[in-house]
Amino acid sequence: MHEVERVGDEIIIIRLKGELDHHSTTDIRNEIVPLIKNGSIKVLVWNLKDLNFMDSSGIGLILGRMRELAPIEGQTIIVNPSPTMKKIFQFAGLSPYIYNESEIEIMSKLGGIVYGQ
Amino acid sequence: MDNEITLSFIAKSENEALARMVMSSFIAAIDPTIEELSEFKTVISEAVTNAIVHGYEEDGVGKIEIHAQRLDREIVVSIVDYGRGIRDVSQAREPLFTTKPEQERSGMGFTIMESFSDDVEIYSIPDRGTTVTITKRFVPIQESSRIV
Repeated sequence: MHEVERVGDEIIIIRLKGELDHHSTTDIRNEIVPLIKNGSIKVLVWNLKDLNFMDSSGIGLILGRMRELAPIEGQTIIVNPSPTMKKIFQFAGLSPYIYNESEIEIMSKLGGIVYGQ
Repeated sequence: MDNEITLSFIAKSENEALARMVMSSFIAAIDPTIEELSEFKTVISEAVTNAIVHGYEEDGVGKIEIHAQRLDREIVVSIVDYGRGIRDVSQAREPLFTTKPEQERSGMGFTIMESFSDDVEIYSIPDRGTTVTITKRFVPIQESSRIV
């Protein structure tokens, strides 16, 4: 279960829900990859507020998309991880991509960056 | 208070959630903290996913068994498969090492198992299978309620 929202040409918000494991990553990946490959996406926001569980498959999913964003210097933003998820991100060196802000705060900030205000 | 169960299922990815659910119920009697429970579920998920993805390449045929024992506040869980085995166990334990980068396996499974438990033992024979035995001790109830 998840929600993918495209905001303008450059931002995608992915709201993960329920449990993210090896079984559930396939569908999410299949939905997001074509959007990134289309070219105009510059920012992926992963909102984990409604995610109850995540194992290392989440690391694979997020790192995979970071690699696809790398050639265009795209940005990855992770918000609302649980304490256990924070530890998992830390093991994989992904702590710098965690922001202690709400999705709304991040979006208003991004408005400034993306539209150069 | 002590208890013991065995769970058996085939190598299908939808069984990852089932294994987590059964093992969460198994430790409910210990009354773990929210974080202990979520760390324990992660450990089970990593070990079971390894058996499904690496042991059997998700063939939907191979059998996986979980043997779990509860002794007071200590849980010992063995995840057993009869699949292809691990050629080099110490290499498999290295952070970020994976034989399946194309499937976006992060290579963090054993690192997570080791970090979120007290002991991880791996016994593997190529083409015969792998047994991963995990020990996790849960903090006494008084201590955990004081933290909360």
